[in-house]
Amino acid sequence: MDASNIKFIIAAYTVTWIVLLGYLLRLVRKGGRARADYERMAQQHSGEKSQ
Amino acid sequence: MSLKRERELTHQPRKREGKLTSSTDHLRDTQAARPPRTSNWLAFVSFAAVIAAQAYAILTSPADADMGHLQKIMYVHVPAAWMTFISFFVVLVFSVRYLWRRRENDDLIAASAAEVGATFNGLTLMLGMIWGRPAWGVWWVWDARLTSTLVLFLIFVGYLALRAFTEDAQQKARWSAAVGAIGALNVPIVYMSVKWWRTLHQPPSSPETLDPAYTLGLRINAIAMLLVLIYFIRRRYEIARLERAVEHMAEAAAMGGR
Amino acid sequence: MAWRDDWRRVRAIARKDVTTELRAKAGFNSVASLGVTILILLGLALGPDAEALRNASVGAVWLATLFSGVLAFNRSFQVELESGALEPLLQYPGPRWTIFAGKLLGNLIFLTLMVAIVVAVGVVLFGVPIPADWPSLVGVLALGVVGLVVLGTFYASMASRSRAREVLLPLLLFPMLVPVLLAATTASKALLGADVMHEAGAWIRLLVAYDLVFLTATFIAFEHVIEA
Repeated sequence: MDASNIKFIIAAYTVTWIVLLGYLLRLVRKGGRARADYERMAQQHSGEKSQ
Repeated sequence: MSLKRERELTHQPRKREGKLTSSTDHLRDTQAARPPRTSNWLAFVSFAAVIAAQAYAILTSPADADMGHLQKIMYVHVPAAWMTFISFFVVLVFSVRYLWRRRENDDLIAASAAEVGATFNGLTLMLGMIWGRPAWGVWWVWDARLTSTLVLFLIFVGYLALRAFTEDAQQKARWSAAVGAIGALNVPIVYMSVKWWRTLHQPPSSPETLDPAYTLGLRINAIAMLLVLIYFIRRRYEIARLERAVEHMAEAAAMGGR
Repeated sequence: MAWRDDWRRVRAIARKDVTTELRAKAGFNSVASLGVTILILLGLALGPDAEALRNASVGAVWLATLFSGVLAFNRSFQVELESGALEPLLQYPGPRWTIFAGKLLGNLIFLTLMVAIVVAVGVVLFGVPIPADWPSLVGVLALGVVGLVVLGTFYASMASRSRAREVLLPLLLFPMLVPVLLAATTASKALLGADVMHEAGAWIRLLVAYDLVFLTATFIAFEHVIEA
């Protein structure tokens, strides 16, 4: 087994997981913010209705 | 909506109740189109599938005669490339469908697929370079596939930039649908032209014939990656719907005079 | 009869664009000067070896055309936008595609004049020998310019109305033009040499196909893009 090739294989799998998990993290953060905004707006709307 | 329309038709004076009714109407509209909520099980299943598929493929595949264990990069590189093409195909289909039917959701699906596709496209390029360095001795060759994948990446960077720099939601949707469809149309032409450009000057890089020992590993990795792709696009779409719903509510509130 | 009306609309828009561009001192002169300046800079960067310059000449002329062309396309909708004339233009009776066709024709005339200057300067600066088969070379140039103008006009109709038009247009346009760049430069190089491999014909067919595909696609898509 060529030792120098192992480095590239490890690099490839590391890059893959960094990208996959990085994008997942972005989605989770963005999703949390969007959900919070949405709930707040919906709250304001129902508050307006009850006035 | 019908109440308001009736009042307009009968020329009744707009009273305070009228304003209130219209603002609750907007609320009902947004609640009827309540954004979907993607459950998390797909995230767990898809990521677990990728781990399992990679473990299986790494452990079972024999060393290749020419490339040794370097071949193992294929299990991430090739599925990532396939996911790129699937995403951009989704962009093409939903862009055309948007121009056809003008439904907001089609635009949001296309935009979600474009963002996820660009991510996989970037990954494909990086993995291609990591593969190329030990296999060909250089980080980059102007190979037909590599170059057209890069051009595809640039086309969809342009698509996402156009969306980022356009304010009006309708305009954004129409423009990016046109850019997405025309960009996807260009992909085969780019591929063909780069291929000719290369082959007329140098012999093409050796065709990738695949040993049957690797096909099963490649297939299950592709399926696992497809699950991740579906999860990403659905989740991104859900976020886009939420953001759009917030915009609509803010507009409705502003129209209501508050 | 309707056909003749459409053609009149196309001609009117094209004539208006060309005359305003040629009359405005900032229009044609500055864009053409930029093309020539880019050529000179490329010559300085790649020279002074005469052989190297001759090999790079085709690429240099095309790059100068692309970069200065982008400015021309952005300008083509800017005049209307600044004076608020786009909305009335859309209100006029008649099909919308005539607006696109008019803009296209105007840009085509404008770019053809500019390319003529850039090519003439390029031939002199880079010491390119004129081959016997120069009409084919002009044909390649014309097909390439058509592809450039079709997509350039189409993307400018969006980019010039967005927030970041200076960056957005080249960002959208240049990746799309990769086939044009490859086909035009390779075919021109082949024609400047002896074309021993007879490859120019294949590239010319590719250029024709590209022009037709995107001419059709942009005419269909323009209806959706131009709406206010």
